[in-house]
Amino acid sequence: MTPTLYRQALEQTGGSPHLLAAREVALERFFSHGLPSPRDEDWKYTPLDFLERAELHAPHHTAEDWTSEDYPGIALKYGNGRLTDVYTQSIHAHSLADRADTALVVRYLGQLADTFPGNTALAEINSALWQDGLLLHVPAGWKSAPLFMVHRTSEADAMLHLRHLVVLEAGAEAVLVEQCLGAPGLAYWHNSVTEIVLGEGARLTHLKLDENSAAATHTGLTLVQQARDSRYRALSLNVGARVARHDTRVHLDEAGATCQLDGVFIATGRRHIDQHLHVDHRAPHTGSSQTWRGIADGRGRGIFDARVVVQPGARKADALQSSRNLLLSPHAEIDVKPQLEIYTDDVKCGHGATVGQLDPAEIFYLRSRGIDADTARALLLRGFVEQALGLLKDSGLADWLEPHLAAALPAPNKEHTA
Amino acid sequence: MLHIENLHVSIGDKPILAGIDLDVKAGEVHAIMGPNGSGKSTLAQVLAGREGYVVTAGCVRYLDRDLLALAPEERARAGVFLAFQYPLEIPGVANVQLLRTALNSVRRSRNETELDAMDFLDTVKGKLELLGMDDSFLYRAVNEGFSGGEKKRNEILQMAVLEPRLAILDETDSGLDIDALKTVAHGVNALKHPGRAVILVTHYQRLLNYIVPDRVHVLAGGRIVRSGDASLALELEERGYGWLMPESSPQTEARP
Ligand SMILES: Nc1ncnc2c1ncn2[C@@H]1O[C@H](COP(=O)(O)OP(=O)(O)OP(=O)(O)O)[C@@H](O)[C@H]1O
Ligand SMILES: [Mg+2]
Repeated sequence: MTPTLYRQALEQTGGSPHLLAAREVALERFFSHGLPSPRDEDWKYTPLDFLERAELHAPHHTAEDWTSEDYPGIALKYGNGRLTDVYTQSIHAHSLADRADTALVVRYLGQLADTFPGNTALAEINSALWQDGLLLHVPAGWKSAPLFMVHRTSEADAMLHLRHLVVLEAGAEAVLVEQCLGAPGLAYWHNSVTEIVLGEGARLTHLKLDENSAAATHTGLTLVQQARDSRYRALSLNVGARVARHDTRVHLDEAGATCQLDGVFIATGRRHIDQHLHVDHRAPHTGSSQTWRGIADGRGRGIFDARVVVQPGARKADALQSSRNLLLSPHAEIDVKPQLEIYTDDVKCGHGATVGQLDPAEIFYLRSRGIDADTARALLLRGFVEQALGLLKDSGLADWLEPHLAAALPAPNKEHTA
Repeated sequence: MLHIENLHVSIGDKPILAGIDLDVKAGEVHAIMGPNGSGKSTLAQVLAGREGYVVTAGCVRYLDRDLLALAPEERARAGVFLAFQYPLEIPGVANVQLLRTALNSVRRSRNETELDAMDFLDTVKGKLELLGMDDSFLYRAVNEGFSGGEKKRNEILQMAVLEPRLAILDETDSGLDIDALKTVAHGVNALKHPGRAVILVTHYQRLLNYIVPDRVHVLAGGRIVRSGDASLALELEERGYGWLMPESSPQTEARP
């Protein structure tokens, strides 16, 4: 990627003179940093300098050919980075590009991306080149219907920068499901930045399903700022892309704010799936919990890096972390790095992380009940993953998700042949 | 139904079973007793097909088939059931899911139609009632957080659903309260049938008051050192095992 290619992409974006000026500034800053290299400690497992050697371009076409999947809610469909349905039935969800000049967007856009520490380069290139995305704004006291944001990429070597802004005002509630798909075998780069601002007592349930093509690169940054008594519950299902890096950073700014960041990753084939979580307890009586289950098969590679910081003022904070991981083949690898940094007394913290294999005694137990070995392994894998899906119980999304999960789990007996 | 001849089994290099002979006919109940570490569970696990146990000599025939040549699931489908001494916990897998997958696997192997969720529930609810278990057990993860006694009862529930021809119960009575013991015994007796057989591994005469054995065997040092009728269990209760111990078994071999 030469600077010229990025500049060409910038020329294809739009917006007011004010926005264009901001894009120019962001691009210059990006040039001064460059893409993360292995020298960056935070990126040592997942350097992106290979993108420098690729020739990517802003998409020329809007995607069509939608799968006929039924979504149990309102669907917003994005093709090659742009909203394709002009008409949506939601009164709270809009194309971000269409609303870029509204007072709300001007006020909030970039507020978290520009001020939260870390993750600079990808946020900057996104700020410079984003073409479209979601604006979800739920006014005080409103409850939004479940919203499915579906991204589909059908153009080879496209570089998609999606930008999403979610603002839930006091007491507002929403369920947001994000699904990323790509034409099979297609190479592209999907880079998204999501800024989420939760007002007092607001509640957001956020399901993220990465089913990008097995040749794609996916980088996603989710930034969340939480006011008093707000609740953010996220469930990630990271099962797609050739190289994926998912960053989530949550600031619990006021008392009573809680977040639950759960997820599953399944790295089959040669997939490389890296997830970084960072929760910052910055006020008393804040709570965070993380339950993750990871599976690597074939030559798959998984990274789980979760950092929870309890700041000096955050008395009575509650932080729980559980990460269990399974290696299904001798060539698979999972690196787990749980970090708890506690700068105050009077907190309740617990964490546990394991990497292991399927238990032969459990397989035998199931076989002794007449279940064949492949089915026994499949049951155990599904059960393993189930432990991270607690959030689905009261979400009404479990049935919708099930086939996606089933498709992502390693097929039986691959274990022996991989 | 089951014919064990001169069975020798090692774990690693360590011989555990040193020549077991046992004949179990259809319709019979056999009890196997014996001191801790004498090889009772090893025998039970070998019959169920657990890997890692090396049969160094002998053979086992079950319904005129070579049992040891069958995979564990094939044995289960042929009607062998082992209630584990230490049932495993399987987090994330609901009890009902295990039961239905197991029953349908067995039915498929017999060319019977698989039961759908509704028909299966009808079947399993009757069994739950028989064992005095609550419906909620169906939806909990297999044995996860179950009390010791609940785990044992859950093994018997699986047995009741699968309706095996040869049931091997490895200390299913240990850890049961008196009422649970009666319920479990009732569950086993309900399964009794001229075409079926039961092997009870137990330390206590108590269970045998409810399920009366045709034969009682004492396993010590990897061998059956004494067999008798139900009265042998009473005698053991009285006198312990000392008087039966073989002179030169691996168990009692004197070390310098
Ligand atoms: N994996 C193993 N490796 C080594 N030794 C083993 C292994 N499993 C069992 N043993 C040994 O085999 C012997 C027989 O064990 P087994 O569990 O069959 O005894 P048991 O008669 O069922 O005893 P209990 O009444 O206490 O249940 C014991 O000495 C035990 O330590
Ligand atoms: Mg035992």
